[in-house]
Amino acid sequence: MNTNQKIAQVHLTTRFKQLLVAVLSVTFGISMYVFMNSFMAGVNNAQTQITFTSMPHIKIYNDLPTDVDPILNVADPNTIVIINNARNIQYAEGIKNADEIKNKLLHFNEITGVTQQLNQNVFVRNGVSKTSASLSGIEIEGENELFETAKYIVEGDLEELDRRSDGIILGTGLARAIGVNTSNNILLTTSEGITKTFKVIGLIETGSNAADKTRALVSIHTARQLFSKNKSYATEVLLNIADYYKAQSLSEEISKLTDYKVEAWQEGNAQLDAANVLRDIVAVAISLTILIVAGFGIYNIMNMTVNEKIKEIAILKAMGFNGKDVIEIFLAQSIVIGFMGGITGLVLGNIIVRLVDNVPFKIATLTTLPVEYSTADYVMAFCFGIIITFIAGYLPARKASKVDPVEILRG
Amino acid sequence: MKALSVKKINKYFHEPTAFHVLKDISFEVDRGEFVSIIGKSGSGKSTLLYLLSTMDTNYTGEITMGGKAITGLKQNQLAKFRNEHIGFVFQFHYLLPEFTVLDNVMLPALKLMKKSKEEIKGEAIELLTLLGIKGHEYKQSSKISGGQQQRVAIARALINSPSIIMGDEPTGNLDSKNTKVVFDIFRELAKERGQTIISVTHDDEFAANCDRIVELSDGKLISE
Repeated sequence: MNTNQKIAQVHLTTRFKQLLVAVLSVTFGISMYVFMNSFMAGVNNAQTQITFTSMPHIKIYNDLPTDVDPILNVADPNTIVIINNARNIQYAEGIKNADEIKNKLLHFNEITGVTQQLNQNVFVRNGVSKTSASLSGIEIEGENELFETAKYIVEGDLEELDRRSDGIILGTGLARAIGVNTSNNILLTTSEGITKTFKVIGLIETGSNAADKTRALVSIHTARQLFSKNKSYATEVLLNIADYYKAQSLSEEISKLTDYKVEAWQEGNAQLDAANVLRDIVAVAISLTILIVAGFGIYNIMNMTVNEKIKEIAILKAMGFNGKDVIEIFLAQSIVIGFMGGITGLVLGNIIVRLVDNVPFKIATLTTLPVEYSTADYVMAFCFGIIITFIAGYLPARKASKVDPVEILRG
Repeated sequence: MKALSVKKINKYFHEPTAFHVLKDISFEVDRGEFVSIIGKSGSGKSTLLYLLSTMDTNYTGEITMGGKAITGLKQNQLAKFRNEHIGFVFQFHYLLPEFTVLDNVMLPALKLMKKSKEEIKGEAIELLTLLGIKGHEYKQSSKISGGQQQRVAIARALINSPSIIMGDEPTGNLDSKNTKVVFDIFRELAKERGQTIISVTHDDEFAANCDRIVELSDGKLISE
């Protein structure tokens, strides 16, 4: 330890109370930073997870063509063109060759799961009570991989759909609306007027009321038969990827392989994305504010120290310590405060996050308050803490280094 | 080679009003000389001392110490020069209150870094013994008497064996007994070790007993 550091050490240790206050202010700031960011990340994750129980990261479907060429191109500005009843007509519905698309997608390593769905609106009827429902023909295995559908089956078994071509699983709300239970029969009518009897083999409840009131699941093979479609027909190919924030860039890649519309989740759910980003901004803003307030605390304490020790600074300069030495003496103190506060802050932050992680919170699929443990948050908190204490310590130190010893010593 | 030579020093204060403090001051001091600077308040004697101390660089003229021109050096070079060649004793002791007596004395030498810590410690204890403060080395400097503190301050000024020791009324706060002790120490340092001593003082008896008196009046040198 050199002489400057020794002086800094003596200054710190002889003023224990001030040291403690300064360290605590940094501790508090950093632990709040860790807590806020862990909590917000947890909330974001929970929110996104709930969303992805019924929504894939990327959806491929047959959309109306978006880039329609004008029917007549007339270059002459003096000619007026009138076209009556121009329409953008969709000639083919759904995806005829869904298997082919699925096979192409296998080349992407980022993709963690692919499934096909055949979705149509139908009528379900039980005696006199009838209601409309959105029927999904699903691939059991793929569906389960993407949405963990089996988790939400409250009665019956999802696998049963594959074994019974007349089996159907209804949303709990839908079952209540038409007054059926498991093992009852219902009549299902398609928009083309085809009617078929199904047996209710299970009930599903995802927590989203709107979905539970309209949802009906059958096997995709059954659905293809019902709608008289070919073997590889689907209305949608859905896929999940490893990092859902990369959905947009990946969907661009995929759209090069197919003429169908490839849509990343952000496209239809900008509000979700926006909410996540906004929450992150709020978390960072609040925690940075707390850290800056802690910085003001340190600035204040160091400034007082400098004022109190102004005669000592003058005598040190008279003895031959230069401006750099004085800066080192005072800056070392705030850096020590920053490090001590930083490390205790990280520990305290972690403890708070762990406590919050155990606070019961039973809404939707949550059981405790959601938090996220991310090393990056801790690293950032520590870095910001050090930077702020450095600045807060440097300003008083520079002031100390500019003390004119003659002025002080002459009195 | 003279220990100190001052040529045509002029200094102005600009605040609050323009004021010519030192007017064409020139004199020389030999090695081992014990010099007092006297004069009425406002005569510029303290101002002159602080110019000599190298801490105040705002003047015209030329100051040379031990053959080295001081005028025009940068702040960092001056700090280094002070550390090695000049020892200060002020009216107030200005010890660092949180440090022990021994640490206070060792500080300038630790800064100079020319000797090992052990050597410095030995020399510091030797100096404290010489100045009659043996037995108080490990006390906090704020816990000893005023006379002792002033002697510790002298020990601190001596630790790097500076060629010039400067005092700004070093006995101003001391009773007559301690004044005599401090004076005798200075006397001996000049005689035995050949260190040059320049001291501003109000004390006529103190001044009368040293080798030479430099008297200032209204910023002019009136007797050497």
